[in-house]
Amino acid sequence: MRAKLRLQGILSGAVITILAILFVVPIYITLIGAFKTDEAIIRTPLMLPVPGTLENIKYVLTDPSANILRMYANTIIIVIFALLTTVAVSSMAAFYTSRNKTKAANFLYVYFIFGLMIPYQMAFIGVVQILKKAQLVGTFPGVILVFISGNIMFSVFMYHGFIKSIPQELEEAASIDGAGEFRIFWQIIMPLVKPCTTTTGIFVGLGIWNDFFTPLIVLGGGKKATVTTGIYTSIGMFTSRWGYVFAYVLFASLPIIIAYIFAQKNIISGLTAGAVKG
Amino acid sequence: MKKRSILFALPAFLIYTALMVIPMLIVFFFSVTNYNGMTSNFRFVGIKNFIELITDDRFINASKMTFIITLVVVIVVNILGLILAILLDKAKSFTNLFRSIFFIPVLMSSVAISFAWNALLSYTGVINTVISQFGFEPHDFFGVKSNAIACIIIVEIWRNLGFYMVIYLAHLQTVPKDLYEACTIDGGNTWDKFTNVTIPMIVPGITICTLLSVMNGLKLFDTPMILTGGGPGFDTETIVLTVFKRAFGSNEIGYGSAMSLMLFVTIVAISMIQLRISKKAEVEN
Repeated sequence: MRAKLRLQGILSGAVITILAILFVVPIYITLIGAFKTDEAIIRTPLMLPVPGTLENIKYVLTDPSANILRMYANTIIIVIFALLTTVAVSSMAAFYTSRNKTKAANFLYVYFIFGLMIPYQMAFIGVVQILKKAQLVGTFPGVILVFISGNIMFSVFMYHGFIKSIPQELEEAASIDGAGEFRIFWQIIMPLVKPCTTTTGIFVGLGIWNDFFTPLIVLGGGKKATVTTGIYTSIGMFTSRWGYVFAYVLFASLPIIIAYIFAQKNIISGLTAGAVKG
Repeated sequence: MKKRSILFALPAFLIYTALMVIPMLIVFFFSVTNYNGMTSNFRFVGIKNFIELITDDRFINASKMTFIITLVVVIVVNILGLILAILLDKAKSFTNLFRSIFFIPVLMSSVAISFAWNALLSYTGVINTVISQFGFEPHDFFGVKSNAIACIIIVEIWRNLGFYMVIYLAHLQTVPKDLYEACTIDGGNTWDKFTNVTIPMIVPGITICTLLSVMNGLKLFDTPMILTGGGPGFDTETIVLTVFKRAFGSNEIGYGSAMSLMLFVTIVAISMIQLRISKKAEVEN
């Protein structure tokens, strides 16, 4: 019995190793390709970059028309503002919907959750009309607001379930001590829902960082380009400079891969949140 | 217990209503007009847009494309994802390393992934150069419709597989070990364990994975946009890509709204049906 189990383990390991190697080849070629000449990339794609070149990296860092550092800055600004606001407004809304048993609270919860059914991209024709009226097309506040609205339903859903599982005694004690509602929320509820903030924050933040559709439509390219729209417009200009392409891909993915190395568990549970507890 | 003030829900309510609910209503409204985005002089045209849709070759092709890609990707990522999760669960060594390898594409943006694959598959790209060194003819992967569809499908599978693998793995790890032992005592072999223990126990995982993969498939935009641009011609346009090009590129706002609405109805209908089927499956167990 035990021997059979071990054999199964070894066989499974062998199969998965082969699959993993096949799977990782494109990543490997991209990674080392960023340090090779275009000729070396297509002639000997699997060969290590010896001698390597930093020309691609230099190009991406200094290209005046599509500066990767500016794209980073734009994206970080958008992610930070959109993420903080999403977390604040959604957790507050969930505090209301989960702590009240009134018809209004119930209706509001269903109202928020209904949005999960709407394919985000299909409301965009309307979104652009509203942004035009408010003169927010092509602005950071515009794109940030769209990201918030697109992430509220998921975040309310997550916080609603989490806050419900927290006993109410602490809040009652605090309110006997004279703490106002707002203070109770920020000083008692928010620290208690930290795990939920981590998972929701990772899901929402990573989604915004990687999103292409929203900034493409709301911001367009140029000086306000994010990482995704920025590399889209700059790579679009040259066709066979694979070294540049791989360098851009590397820069676009590097921050997330680094984050993953440091917070692997949190990132996996963040990205699969809602799908695992089912 | 004192009730919580409704003011807490106000900011979320306002943003969500202004930029999600009202836009939806606008799409409903535009879908029965001939609005072109330029003049405010547009009129009600009834169901004309929808009648045009069902005879519009470009839209019919986009719908076919979307369904074919979704179908193949859903089947492959779910079956292969489950197989990988089982192998990973059994191998028991280097679990973290393997999981990370398959998970990397989930972390990357679809834009970065599509460009990397573009460099691999392009006519002057890596794969063609390598095969021509061995004396084979280079393939035009993006210039021929069937090749281009296959490319989109492969990239989508590669991009999504790790996500479903991780979800299946998490569900597999919740299956109690004594159920397998009980099955062994009853004389069951490996296949019996799989069909009588594993599958019934992970029905919730199967439900969520199929639901998510179908939804993602129907909304597909980034990969075809970057990999093929919808070409050759309009051959590999998905529904969202067609809507994007026509509503924002050529300002057919009314017509684009009608297309959006069709997609919306389809997605809601399919997810309802799926949820009903899986509820049944869960009750039967």
